[in-house]
Amino acid sequence: MEETGKPLGRVEALLEAERCLYCFDAPCEKVCPANVPIPEFIHSIKTNNLQGAREIIEVAHPLIETCGRLCPEESFCQSVCARVKIDSPIKIRELHRYVTDNTEPSRNLIIPVRNKGRVAIVGGGPAGLSCARELGRLGFETVIFEKKELGGIPMQQVSNVRFPEKIGKREVRFINDNFVTEVKDKKVQSVKDIGNGFDAIFIATGLQGELDLDVKGTNLKGIYNASELLKLARASIKTPVGRRVGVIGGGNVAVEVATVLKQENSERDVELVYRRSLKELKAFKDEIDEAVNVGVTMQFLAIPVEIKGIDSVTGIVVRRSRLSKPDASGRRNFEEIPDSDFFIPFDTIVIAIGQKLADYFPEIEKTERGLIKVDDNLMTSTKGVFAGGDIVRGASTIVESVADGKKAASSISNFSNGGENV
Amino acid sequence: MYKEKDISIDFLGIHLDSPFVLSASPSTDEMEMAYNGLKEGWAGVILKTTSIKENVVNLKNPMMSSFGSMSEKVVGLGNIDLISKYHINDIEERVRYLKKEFPNKIIAASIMGAKKEDWQSLVLRLKKAGADLIECSFSCPQGSMGEEAGKMLAQSIEATEKVTTWVKEAADKIPILIKITPQVTDIVEVARAVKRGGADGITASNTIPSLLGIDINTFEPYPSLFGESSYSGLSGSAIKPITLRTIAEIAKNVDIVISGNGGAFTWEDAVEFMALGASNVQFCTLPMHYGFRTIRDLKSGLAHYLEDMGFDSPLDIMGKSLGKIKTNEELPELYVRSEIDTEKCIGCGLCYVACSDGGHMAIQWESEKRKPSVDEDKCTGCSMCMQVCPVDAIKMREKLDDSIHYFIEKR
Repeated sequence: MEETGKPLGRVEALLEAERCLYCFDAPCEKVCPANVPIPEFIHSIKTNNLQGAREIIEVAHPLIETCGRLCPEESFCQSVCARVKIDSPIKIRELHRYVTDNTEPSRNLIIPVRNKGRVAIVGGGPAGLSCARELGRLGFETVIFEKKELGGIPMQQVSNVRFPEKIGKREVRFINDNFVTEVKDKKVQSVKDIGNGFDAIFIATGLQGELDLDVKGTNLKGIYNASELLKLARASIKTPVGRRVGVIGGGNVAVEVATVLKQENSERDVELVYRRSLKELKAFKDEIDEAVNVGVTMQFLAIPVEIKGIDSVTGIVVRRSRLSKPDASGRRNFEEIPDSDFFIPFDTIVIAIGQKLADYFPEIEKTERGLIKVDDNLMTSTKGVFAGGDIVRGASTIVESVADGKKAASSISNFSNGGENV
Repeated sequence: MYKEKDISIDFLGIHLDSPFVLSASPSTDEMEMAYNGLKEGWAGVILKTTSIKENVVNLKNPMMSSFGSMSEKVVGLGNIDLISKYHINDIEERVRYLKKEFPNKIIAASIMGAKKEDWQSLVLRLKKAGADLIECSFSCPQGSMGEEAGKMLAQSIEATEKVTTWVKEAADKIPILIKITPQVTDIVEVARAVKRGGADGITASNTIPSLLGIDINTFEPYPSLFGESSYSGLSGSAIKPITLRTIAEIAKNVDIVISGNGGAFTWEDAVEFMALGASNVQFCTLPMHYGFRTIRDLKSGLAHYLEDMGFDSPLDIMGKSLGKIKTNEELPELYVRSEIDTEKCIGCGLCYVACSDGGHMAIQWESEKRKPSVDEDKCTGCSMCMQVCPVDAIKMREKLDDSIHYFIEKR
């Protein structure tokens, strides 16, 4: 299937780049978790120096291809663009993608001698890969522990249409070939599993496993987890779902899987079932827009009560909810409306209500939510063991994981200069 | 639907329904184009420069090149064009026809000759055909004909005066405009020579010799003719400031009628030309780029401006700025400080950068609030900050004795 989102052509890109004010101390750059020097790379687009533009982004951002496509720019750089005060924000992500689409990784890369130490990285997703690249640049040997394919969530749970596999693979390969010493296919559940011979450890496993829907009927045929379907879709294998699909959830993955299933077969009805309203939907605006565009329908203010069926799913009973007081973050909560149950017929139910924490690394201190607790330098309660990404933040964005990877590398380098072993 | 404001002027004894005339250019090189331009509402046409039948014109193409950005592609337009391939026998026909079709418009022609008899026969034939006015090109950047071919006639004081005398002798009562070039050591001396030669007016000025660019991959100059090129005559917005200076210098020093030409793109530009002493304004790159239809906004913009300013006629604008142009030594030394309007400021920090690296390090930057502020002890009032502000939020507060004056440069 064709990749979504029409990339900017040269004329469009130059016109858009010319709109950039080239702010000093630019708000976009400051708010970017990876601190990409945005006005500088846009200036280089204007001067037809695309390779220079790429280098500017690449130095700041190890996952340049991934974020040029998947970064929720409306949450970061574009939300603070000074141009808003004149007309509309610069399409920063589109310009970023224009650069990556029209350039190749630099041939002038300097790979330093790896003599500064040896670091174990648990997890080969955005945080782990970013940390590996930064450590490689700083002269460290890196060993990534990863049971699955390198790349993490962007490679496993984003549709091929939004993030083509060959582009993701090229990016991962580039980091792996140039900055990673070794990848070990070994399951790591505690610091002990890693073994000896490392100067520091970076834990970036992400969240493991999916949350189960706690209602009756989840043992029926025709119920799937979002991630298993996304994995099939990425591998271009036909999914086993039916003609009337209900997707339960309200996050990026729910929206993504609904979009993918509708794209796979436009005859199929795909309906998102969510407890709160559109405003509380925890997905990025462009993903929601995409879902609506392809024809995904949405059932808001609906709490799943029971999945019905004899052998296979025939539908779901949901209860109406209404929005109640906002929580501490300002996001409104919901409450049930009594006697408001109704039935929606479905032949397939997809569960996408989020990922759960695994009870790994028992020796490391956790937060109340069960996430790994870290200090300002991302060091855990165990000296020399650092952590970042979703396992520290909970479900978050790729660019925040990238930022953690970068920060951890710099902390590890400082720590290692102190000369202490794990 | 609306009452029309009279924006007509008297130019060298000829009535023009507006000050806006199509200059000798590709826009007036075809009969049908000149016709269309007049039909669309231009006050007159100066047909593209013609010559005697024996003069061979070998035009080279592509002849155009330009520079600018993607959002404003033609800031400057260059051409390696020559005079018209049509000779005087065609042009006199056109003059006759156009004069018959448009008796109330100004029908003029531009000429270029080598010898005295060429110049004079061109004038006589146009006179007989009924031309209202004759413009003599002394400044085609590709060079003039005659003894010093390749050099512009108006670059020689003696030649300028001599040829002007020839032309005026033949023209008698028909007004003569001499089109000069700013590419000279002393423009005032040239204008004086034109006056001594007896011309009625001066066209200030023409395109300016230039080189439009180089393809940095092939090193071909622009416009590339199989990899090679020549110097171009530059027109368009890029040359407006040069034309303004040319008009001002002539108007301040020589008592001669001026037709402004070179770089005017809007009615506002035309007002500026006239404020410096031009009686009317010629347009070439504007209609070449956006068409003859542009006359409508030129006329409407000027009419509304006159209304707003309380002027009766465009001639009221003439020379309004001349007395305000001084030598640098004559200018006062002021206490000037930059003033930033924090309401308008969008916090881009460009004024800070410009002052830090190109001014006097007098603007302070509060990073958290994204707020610039002026250190009055360091500010010298150079106004670099005002130039770069994207939202016109900066003005210059000037103090002389006890009076305050604000300099606000508008876009």
